[in-house]
Amino acid sequence: MDLTQAERDMLEGREGPARERAMKGLVQLGRAYGAPRMVEIGYAHIHAGMALYLEDVELMEELASIDARMAVPASVNIANADTVNWRATGAPESLARLQRRAAGAHARLGSDCTFTCTPYWAGHWPTWNTHMTSIESTVTIFCNSVLGARSNRDGFFAVYAGMTGRYPLFGYHRDEMRRGTGLFLVDAEPSGPSDFSCLGFHVGAAIGDGVPVVAGFARRPTLDELDALGAGIATSGGASMFIVPGVTPPYADVEAAFGGRDVPAPTRIDRAAIDAVYARYRDAHDAIDIVHLGCPHASWEEMKHYARLLDGRRIAPGIELWITASRNVRNAAAEAGLVARLEAAGAKVISDTCPMSCHFARTVSPDPALGVVPPRLRAVVVDSVKQAKYVRDMIQCPVLLTGAEEAVETACSGRFVPRGAP
Amino acid sequence: MTQRIALRGIVEGSARGPILPSREAISFLGDVDIRSGRVVGDLPSVRGRSLAGVVLVMPYTRGSAGAWRFLHQLFRHGNAPAAIVSGTLPDPSVVQGAILSGIPVACDPAEDPWPLLRDGAAASLVVVEDRAVLEIGT
Repeated sequence: MDLTQAERDMLEGREGPARERAMKGLVQLGRAYGAPRMVEIGYAHIHAGMALYLEDVELMEELASIDARMAVPASVNIANADTVNWRATGAPESLARLQRRAAGAHARLGSDCTFTCTPYWAGHWPTWNTHMTSIESTVTIFCNSVLGARSNRDGFFAVYAGMTGRYPLFGYHRDEMRRGTGLFLVDAEPSGPSDFSCLGFHVGAAIGDGVPVVAGFARRPTLDELDALGAGIATSGGASMFIVPGVTPPYADVEAAFGGRDVPAPTRIDRAAIDAVYARYRDAHDAIDIVHLGCPHASWEEMKHYARLLDGRRIAPGIELWITASRNVRNAAAEAGLVARLEAAGAKVISDTCPMSCHFARTVSPDPALGVVPPRLRAVVVDSVKQAKYVRDMIQCPVLLTGAEEAVETACSGRFVPRGAP
Repeated sequence: MTQRIALRGIVEGSARGPILPSREAISFLGDVDIRSGRVVGDLPSVRGRSLAGVVLVMPYTRGSAGAWRFLHQLFRHGNAPAAIVSGTLPDPSVVQGAILSGIPVACDPAEDPWPLLRDGAAASLVVVEDRAVLEIGT
C-alpha cells in the first residue's frame, strides 16, 4: 500500500503503541482487499465493549490504558445493559456495573458514549462523500443510502479507524461499488417503519450482497421509513447500501443509479410479498411477556408517535411494553414530556440496549461470575423484522411481528393483533 | 514426508496444530458454540468437532458482520483455531477477528489441498506479508 508519511509514522510506532497497533491492523486489512492507499475518514461508529461477552469490556479498557484516543468524531454502538435503568429490565446489577466500565473507557478514548444502533438520531450525521466506518450494519446502510456517506460493514476495526483517522480504500469507499446491481419496483403502498422493514427484508434476501435500487414509491419515504428499509435489507442479506432514486445522494433517477450500465429488468414487489414477511414471524405462543418498539433505537419522531398511540391507554396486566431509544433521544423526549406520557400508560423506556442485545440472549458468553441468567420468555411481539430475526435466533423464544400501532393494541389488550387487522 | 502448499497470506503469524478439514463453509456467528468451541451448525463434515487449536481448512467463510466478535470470543474462551485456511478470500469481518486474536489466515492455495488433507494430521501455517506456506505432515 502507498502510505503517507503520517501513516508510516503511525505504522512504525512514532505515534505511540496504540496507533501502531491500529495502523498495522488496517494495513493488513487493506492488503487483503487490494486497497491501493488509505483514505481520511470523518466519522467512526465504534464497538461498545459488551458486558455479555467474556473480556470484551476489557478490550476497550486495554486500549484506553495504552493511551488510545479517537482521532475523529466517534459514537458508540449498542450495549448489553441499560446502564442507568437496568432494574427495569431485570438485569443483575453486576452486568450494569461492568457495562458502565465500558462507558469509563470511552470517556478516556474521547468517543461519545451513545450506546446506540442509531447514532444519527443522537446527532451523528455524516454528510455526502464523508468516508467513515461503522461496526453496526444498520448504521452502514443508513449512512451510505440516506446520507451519501461512504462506509463498509466493519467489525472491531471501526475502533482502529477511529484511532488513526484512516481506513483502507476498498469496498463502498470506491465509486465502482456504489451503483445498482438489481432493480425493484414497489407495486404497493407500504406505510410506516414496520412495512418498510418487511419490504427491506424481502429486497435484502433477493439482492444478497449487491446494491438494490428500490423505486416506484407513491411518495417520498420518511426518514424513519428509510431507516427501517435499511435495517430490513441488512437483516436478510449482506447488502451495505441501497439506492432510492431521488433520495440517495447523488442518484437523481434509475439510470443514474446504475451508473451508465444497462438498467436490468425490474423485480416487482406487491403487498403480498410484504405480508409474507410478517407471516414468517408469527410463531405459535401461549402468552405474551414483552411487546417491543424501537428497533433500530427510536427517533424523536417515533417517540412522539408512540406517545400519541398510548395517550389515555393502559398496558394490560402481565405484559411489559418496552420502548428503546438512545439516551440522547430519551432525554430530549423526556424534556418534551413524551417519556412521562409513555410511562403513564405503563410503558418502560429503556436506553443503551434492547431485548435481543440484553441479558435475554442465550447465544452470549458472559463471565459466569456476573450471575447472568436469561429468563424464559413465552413470546415477544415486535414491530421490526431485525428484532424479530434476532429474538428468534438469540433469545430463542416465540416472536410475532406486527406494526407499531398493532403492537400497542397488543400491549393494551393482551392479545396479538396482526398488521392490518381492523 | 511433508507436503508444502503455497497460499496467499492474509493475516501474518505462524501456528501449528492438527488439520481439521471442513467440506462446508463455516459461519463463526451461529455455527460454533463459543463456550465449548464445537461446531453446532448443520455442517455434516465437522458437526460436533472442536475448533480449539486446529488448523482449520474450509472452502470459504460464510459472511456475517458479527463474525469477528464470535471468532474473538472463541479466542477469549481458549477455543479458537490455531490457523485458518480458506479456499477463497474470507470476508472482512473474519479477517478483523483473526488479526485481533492473533490467528494467521491464508487463502487461494496454489494447488488443490484436498487430496493432501488427512483429518488430524500435523500441520503448520506460516504467513509473512502476502506469502503463506501450509506444511502438512503424513
